[in-house]
Amino acid sequence: MTTSLFERFAALHVSGDPLVLFNVWDVGSAGAVAKSGARAIATGSASVAMANGFGDGEQVPIDFALANAKRIVDAVELPVTVDFEGAYSNDPDEGARNIAQLAGIGAVGCNFEDQIVGGEGLHPIRNQAARIAAARQAVGPHFFINCRTDLFLKAPQETHDGAMLDEAITRVQAYADAGASGFFVPMLGNLDLLGRLCAQSPIPVNFMTYPGCPSNAEVASTGVARISHGPFPYLALMGQLEEAARAAIG
Amino acid sequence: MSDQSKFETFAALHVPGDPVVLYNIWDVGSAHAVVKAGAKALATGSHPVADANGWPDGQQVPIDFALANARRIVEAVELPLTVDFEGAYSTDPEFGGRNVALLADTGAIGCNFEDQVIGGEGVHPLDLQVRRIEAIRRAVGDAFFINARTDLFLKAESHDDALVGQVIERGKAFADAGASGFFVPRLADPVQIERVVREVPLPLNVIAFPGAPPKSTWAAAGVARISHGPFPHRALMAQLEEMARAAIA
Repeated sequence: MTTSLFERFAALHVSGDPLVLFNVWDVGSAGAVAKSGARAIATGSASVAMANGFGDGEQVPIDFALANAKRIVDAVELPVTVDFEGAYSNDPDEGARNIAQLAGIGAVGCNFEDQIVGGEGLHPIRNQAARIAAARQAVGPHFFINCRTDLFLKAPQETHDGAMLDEAITRVQAYADAGASGFFVPMLGNLDLLGRLCAQSPIPVNFMTYPGCPSNAEVASTGVARISHGPFPYLALMGQLEEAARAAIG
Repeated sequence: MSDQSKFETFAALHVPGDPVVLYNIWDVGSAHAVVKAGAKALATGSHPVADANGWPDGQQVPIDFALANARRIVEAVELPLTVDFEGAYSTDPEFGGRNVALLADTGAIGCNFEDQVIGGEGVHPLDLQVRRIEAIRRAVGDAFFINARTDLFLKAESHDDALVGQVIERGKAFADAGASGFFVPRLADPVQIERVVREVPLPLNVIAFPGAPPKSTWAAAGVARISHGPFPHRALMAQLEEMARAAIA
């Protein structure tokens, strides 16, 4: 029996030897990243939104997001994970149905976040665990639900402290019990806190790079299993396009 | 800006000897980047739209996607937008006219319209191509820039003076049929360009490519519009590949 794309993808999450995902937004960018030697493809929701003229925060219509994801899945051989924000619903069952649609188009996983999209703050832990449990029930075991907490994203980096880490640990334990495959902590850049999180997380931890962040090697040494790049590849590339266009027009 | 004034602004940018430079885009994000670069107008390329979204070129991008993509760009930016619409998704003049009218409804103020037989060989007979352009002009009215393209140079290995003669014959017929501009991809030689400019009563569009003569050379030969076809997208995707390789290593 051949190894499934999901199994290949899940096995790439190795603590201390992280999978690096250079986030894409369309088939063209997926093709370029695949050629660079990537082992898996991950979309970024903000990049998809910007490339197509929508706001971030589930302003990309779900049908567009699914169709875009399907085009990428159909075009590349690699496993594809999709940044699916809050699964387009606060309701656990509706969100789960949406994630099942994403699995149905051939994505092997998704990011699923705990911020209240279009509202304030985070979903209470119990609600978020219920949403994750419903998603897991809908997709079965062969789908990588990368559960993201926006605790650190919502707070200035200088305020990231042990108390916040304690809440993150409470969340990751609840999310793992609910069926999460991975835990994603965008904007947590403190290596000590990351190390403590990785030591206590029952599931692989995902770090997101940002301008001025620690190096991949430093991040890897904390025990992180996945490094993604969020919107930064897109933003950097559009800066390069602007320069190239200015040179051509000038 | 109304579509009428966008069209007028766009048409007025076609000045022989002082060409408008169009750095071709494929989506809203690339449109924004090119606007920030100081562009005066925007032009999609059909090949980059296809490549960016996983289809082959040659009208394999579904027309509904092509139209929706154009609409997203029009709604996101203020500048005039012209769309590379290949063969208007029909060899039939009336259907092609209707399709270009749908494109005009998105707020695009112009399009490229080519004479190659898509999915077939060579170029359409001149009388058919003239009827196709006439039908489009009837369908969209005056305020739409039909950039009529001949693929004679694209399809030929040897670009001799006889071929330039055929190009000129097409350009004149396209002008009579209601074309606003004349587009000859692969035409690059300044002497041949001068001949086309002298004999065809339409602003001439050529494509810049890696290793092309400098803009000043083409401007001096009388070119009114320089576009970049698939090259901006290709160059950018090569840059992305390098960035990704560095990040992954």
